[in-house]
Amino acid sequence: MAHQWGMVIDLDRCTGCEACVVACHAENNISTVGEDQARRSRAKHWIRVERYYEGEFPDVQVKFMPVLCQQCDAAPCEPVCPTFASYHTSEGLNGQIYNRCIGTRYCANACPYVVRYFNFFNPVWDKPLNLQLNPDVSVREVGVMEKCTFCVQRIKAGEIKAEAEKRELKDGEIQPACVQSCAPRAMVFGDLNDPESEVSRLANSGRATKLLAELGTRPKVTYLQRDAWHGHENA
Amino acid sequence: MATKTPEQITEDLMRPMWGLSGRYVLAVAFLAGVVVAALCAFMWQVYAGLGVSGLRTPVFWGFYITDFVFWIGLSHAGTLISAILRLANATWRRPVTRCAEVITVFALSIGATFPIIHLGRPWLAFWLFPYPSERGLWPNIRSPLLWDFFAINTYLISSVTFLLLPMIPDFALIRDRANGWKQKVYGALSLGWTGTPRQWHRLETAMHIMAIAVIPVAVSVHSIVSWDFAMAPVPMWHSTIFAPYFVAGAIFSGIAALILAMALLRKFLHLEDYLLPIHFENLGKLLLVMSLLWFYFVFAERLTAWYGNETGEMPVFWTTQHGTYAGLFWLMVFCNFLIPVPILAIKKFRTILGTALASFTVVIGMWLERFLIIVPSLSHKYLTYSWGTYRPTWVEITITAGTFCAMALLYMIFSKVVPLISIWELKAGLHAAPHTPRVVVEPSEAGAD
Amino acid sequence: MERRDFLKISAIAGATAALEGCGNPDHQLIRFVPEEDLLPGIATWKPSICTQCPAGCGMMVRVMQGEAEVIRKGQLGLLKMGLAKKLEGNPAHPISQGKLCPRGQAGLQVTYHPDRIKNPLVREGARGSGQFKEIGWDDAIKQLASQLSTLHTSNPPGGLAFVTGPLRGQRKTILDAFTTSFQGSYAVGAAFLDDSVARAANGASFGHAAPGTVDLANSNYVLSFGADFLGTWNSPVAQNVGFGHMRKGRPGMRGKFVQFEPRISQTGASADEFVAVQPGAEGVLALAIAHVVIAEKRKPLASAGHAGSLIDGWAQGLPDYAPEKVAAQTGVKAETIARIAREAASHDPAVAIIGDSATAQTNGYFNALAVNALNALLGSVGKPGGILFGAGLNAQASKSGPASLELFASQVSSGAAPVKVLLVYNANPIFSAPTAWGVRAALDKIPFIASFASFMDETALLADLILPDSSPLESWLDDVPPSGSAKFVMSVAPPAMAPLHDTRSAPDVLLDVAQRIGGDLAKALPWKTYDEAIQAAFAALYKEKGSKTAKDADEFWSRAKDQGGWWTDEPSATANGASGGRPIKASAAQFDGEASQYPFHFLPFASQLFYDGSLANLPWMQEAPDPLSTVMWGTWLEINPRTAQKLNIQRGDLVEVSSPHGKLQAPALIAPGVAPDVVAMPIGQGHESYTRYASGRGANPISILAPATVEGTGALAWAATRVKLSAVGRSAMILFGGSLTEASPELKHR
Repeated sequence: MAHQWGMVIDLDRCTGCEACVVACHAENNISTVGEDQARRSRAKHWIRVERYYEGEFPDVQVKFMPVLCQQCDAAPCEPVCPTFASYHTSEGLNGQIYNRCIGTRYCANACPYVVRYFNFFNPVWDKPLNLQLNPDVSVREVGVMEKCTFCVQRIKAGEIKAEAEKRELKDGEIQPACVQSCAPRAMVFGDLNDPESEVSRLANSGRATKLLAELGTRPKVTYLQRDAWHGHENA
Repeated sequence: MATKTPEQITEDLMRPMWGLSGRYVLAVAFLAGVVVAALCAFMWQVYAGLGVSGLRTPVFWGFYITDFVFWIGLSHAGTLISAILRLANATWRRPVTRCAEVITVFALSIGATFPIIHLGRPWLAFWLFPYPSERGLWPNIRSPLLWDFFAINTYLISSVTFLLLPMIPDFALIRDRANGWKQKVYGALSLGWTGTPRQWHRLETAMHIMAIAVIPVAVSVHSIVSWDFAMAPVPMWHSTIFAPYFVAGAIFSGIAALILAMALLRKFLHLEDYLLPIHFENLGKLLLVMSLLWFYFVFAERLTAWYGNETGEMPVFWTTQHGTYAGLFWLMVFCNFLIPVPILAIKKFRTILGTALASFTVVIGMWLERFLIIVPSLSHKYLTYSWGTYRPTWVEITITAGTFCAMALLYMIFSKVVPLISIWELKAGLHAAPHTPRVVVEPSEAGAD
Repeated sequence: MERRDFLKISAIAGATAALEGCGNPDHQLIRFVPEEDLLPGIATWKPSICTQCPAGCGMMVRVMQGEAEVIRKGQLGLLKMGLAKKLEGNPAHPISQGKLCPRGQAGLQVTYHPDRIKNPLVREGARGSGQFKEIGWDDAIKQLASQLSTLHTSNPPGGLAFVTGPLRGQRKTILDAFTTSFQGSYAVGAAFLDDSVARAANGASFGHAAPGTVDLANSNYVLSFGADFLGTWNSPVAQNVGFGHMRKGRPGMRGKFVQFEPRISQTGASADEFVAVQPGAEGVLALAIAHVVIAEKRKPLASAGHAGSLIDGWAQGLPDYAPEKVAAQTGVKAETIARIAREAASHDPAVAIIGDSATAQTNGYFNALAVNALNALLGSVGKPGGILFGAGLNAQASKSGPASLELFASQVSSGAAPVKVLLVYNANPIFSAPTAWGVRAALDKIPFIASFASFMDETALLADLILPDSSPLESWLDDVPPSGSAKFVMSVAPPAMAPLHDTRSAPDVLLDVAQRIGGDLAKALPWKTYDEAIQAAFAALYKEKGSKTAKDADEFWSRAKDQGGWWTDEPSATANGASGGRPIKASAAQFDGEASQYPFHFLPFASQLFYDGSLANLPWMQEAPDPLSTVMWGTWLEINPRTAQKLNIQRGDLVEVSSPHGKLQAPALIAPGVAPDVVAMPIGQGHESYTRYASGRGANPISILAPATVEGTGALAWAATRVKLSAVGRSAMILFGGSLTEASPELKHR
């Protein structure tokens, strides 16, 4: 059976450290845009950690939520792209084909998660920062939309390796950069078509929710809600 | 008003085409200057990237799409009014139809440039054409942008046809009075028109068919443009009312543009004898109806949103009601409703100046309406963490200004090339044709037919 | 010639001609012969050690072939070489356990930074003018060696000083050899964030002057007093791994975590319970909890052992610390204290942590002793789920800590310390010291300053000679991390890639200089290159510990290099019932500045992205939004919403913050998590000079700190300053996510 890649993010483990954010930049050749462009809201954090405050001091609560492309099975960004630059792959990913993108930005408007980023200018790396670029990932040019791909280059590399070695992929063998770096192991990645995989098991947890599920996007990222302490005072 | 002889009519209506006044040259120079500035701004944008605009996460559409919807909308009145009035045989339409059709063609052409202007990689705009790429891929027919492509092109072709057809007899008229290269050009354009009854019959039939055909095309165009928004899960975009709302708004803005154009033409081309107060009265009444209709749609949409109290929609609702965009929202209500309705409803105010003033505010108000549909919603999508703002840069403002000047410029050039009031149609109102009763150009007998 | 060759040559000639026409500069650069054998497109993974903070996480570096412009033998050219592309945690390494924090991920940008110092520099203009001349390494080392030789043989001896960051492993050995050989020399620590208070307290309470490792993974109840242990404190990656496991790694069990601090930190965000505590009252609060545990007979007070005996009143059951008595002082309700005490005592294993601002008060040492006593009472010392002290790690703790920068600066300025030569390594004392310490004036008095800095920071600007260190990925690295794992760990890593620029590894330079100086110093450091030194350390380790897998020292060394180090399980040491030490009475925290004049506690905090400011030069760190504030490329001052309202300050208003020792300006950020009488500011920005990305950006909170010290230690009490605020105008901050704390009109109706 074909793989259906999915992810689980356990909000009870996530500490908001943002290792995922920086790892993603490093892996996927995402340029920094600099102070001026960041001020104009053009930073391209394919994964971002949303922070919400609740309550008033001293009864304050802070909640972190990493948000990345949900690789929706009913992605609103796919039907609206006139050139099929945004399309659904056979493994359940929302693919973004940079070469086909002419930059109408309809997909970005349609995406309710605001996880699509546009190259308003040609990306710039002050030399020799460009030496860090990952040869496995395209560098996008101006006018093209980009977003999280679940590190499709790692998925492909893993599948090719498994095929060459004439074996099945092991659960957890492929890890996107964010998942790999997550120290509290809040992020889990794997094959939703494999009922034994950790991601399938966790996605069935009682704490499982999906972000903006009511919009019918059928996202493939499952969030496990933050839990409460269940201990009790010993009388 | 004294009745004019056919020769006098021809004379009057062709006069604007001869000679260039100093005022004309100055105006053209100014308008051309702004258009050139807009072109430079666009070229700069292509060179540097869309970053020179004010677009940003999450407001990925701003001035350009506002302009796009605005100009496509403006194009509706022309052909639609002309077609409907022709089919209804409203006699007062005669001096109005060509002005209207010209607005359509130019507004549509201008509007159609925006899908290219706003692209991230405009040099690849041709990928919207339906041809299989080297990988055998056709464009995505599910995308409303592709529907736009087909709809706008269809409308453009039909509007041009609808404009050119009734111009043939007038081209012939000019050909018969011109010399040298002008005779050659107009000769070619008139397609060998000699005014035989058979030719007249063919012309009338063709125009009748076009008049019927162009109405659904026009309705579909702006419905499709509205679906650029309604098909996306964006708060207060995903609304079933969008298609009729946009079509109504388009007609509304188109009529206003038409009235404005006519008022200006009347003054500058000395067409006081042809564009009469009754025309402005009638169009003013139409504008009034559209203003009320517009208000009805807006009210219905907002009442539903407010009553529904949906989490995603309420921030968008409130930001226009009394938040960041409240100033623009209430200005729009003023311009589209509170100012025009009294002017147009009260006969005493429904003069040429009055209707022109009302039309002017409506044009502004309708531009604001497009802006307020697009930007507040994109600024306040479902995840509050990603809310944003938008402010245009000089690039967007220059290009927008350039389009307005381009419209005026095209109109001015056109007025030198073709008589802006259809000469033969006006005369046809004087001469009884076998199938139409006798008509006289008299203001007091407006709508006698 | 063959037609094929003809076509080939024509093609190349044509292409070259065409490229020449295009102005392609690459073809004008010569190509060096590759120094290593790499297949293009194939990645190799090499072990390394992260040096972005002192935790010492083991890394793996993804190396792939690429083409770089490098200088070899003074000539610029293109070289196909292995380039580090991505950093990951080393799954085998006990500290990182395969994970990295954002700072670790950004380590690549240190190597590839556009503003790295690319070759040795000697000062040309006036000191601090920034005018330098490039010189060769021979020249540079000769200069340094000659300066040091003069000192070495001078009579009376003395005049050498080192100002460094935390050094461990053989780098520390080299430093110690120098300071031993040069009599009367100084080894000064300039790190703003250090664990000296914790070490001192642990030494007193448990006999282990070491930070210890918190075994979060097996803990059931965590009480953290101000420690940002999931962000920047101690060994963040290891602590994050442990925390995740504590939460959801054990089916059916989920540990509770309570955070006590005056401002909800990034760590506090993950707490089950955030308890606001008055600054400086953390120790009293810990003892109040202990009081309840003792009073309700949940644990015998004797179990606190020596640590308990250090607290005045312990033997009597801490009568002065009844919750009702300390509720006002701590700002915590009595019933909350009691409830938490009961929960902690009934959910073994429970552990208490203290750090950051709680130990940076004038009574920080007392606070740490109090928490140690609580830990001992709860039975968490030396037990799984508690605080573990590895026996072998003591070797690192036994040597006394570095000299205080404050003392050093004042002695140099007064002339009491006639320092002639200063070596700056891994430190930026101008930035990381309060202005009140007068470090700049002290440096002005030193005739010769040599720096190993890789970047032109504020201190490097004052140097007379710069011998730029290679980046960590280009250097031999070794480390003995003092915390983060119950295992004994000694890490080693060969360079992951060749140097991009004409830089040399600082230890190599020092070894070279030592050989030139000769005598006892050369004998103490008998290695030509640093890897020899590390190998010697591993040989000694092999001799001491033996190995199950390696049959001799050579194999031991080879295996260690392959896997990134060597580690072994180690029984954790119990708390030593060391004798001595009088019981300490509670001391209230003292704050510099009259409360009436300076109404706010000033709370600088380590930034998740810039750490102590040393990472502000990295664009990934500037552009990553701060987790709590979401600010990018900027600096900010956190103010409580009600306080802001009272002072009529809105988000973005530029505020002047004045302490009795200086003032700075920062834009205000309305932060719901900060106490009404506290204002907080991240450390890291405010560099006058620190590459294009950080220079002239923001404000440095360290500069206005009072020169207060933590009683009982010499450490800076950096949380002991009071300030006043005044609005001075408008400023614009860049927020990635926007602050939702002010109800925008749109939100009011939700």
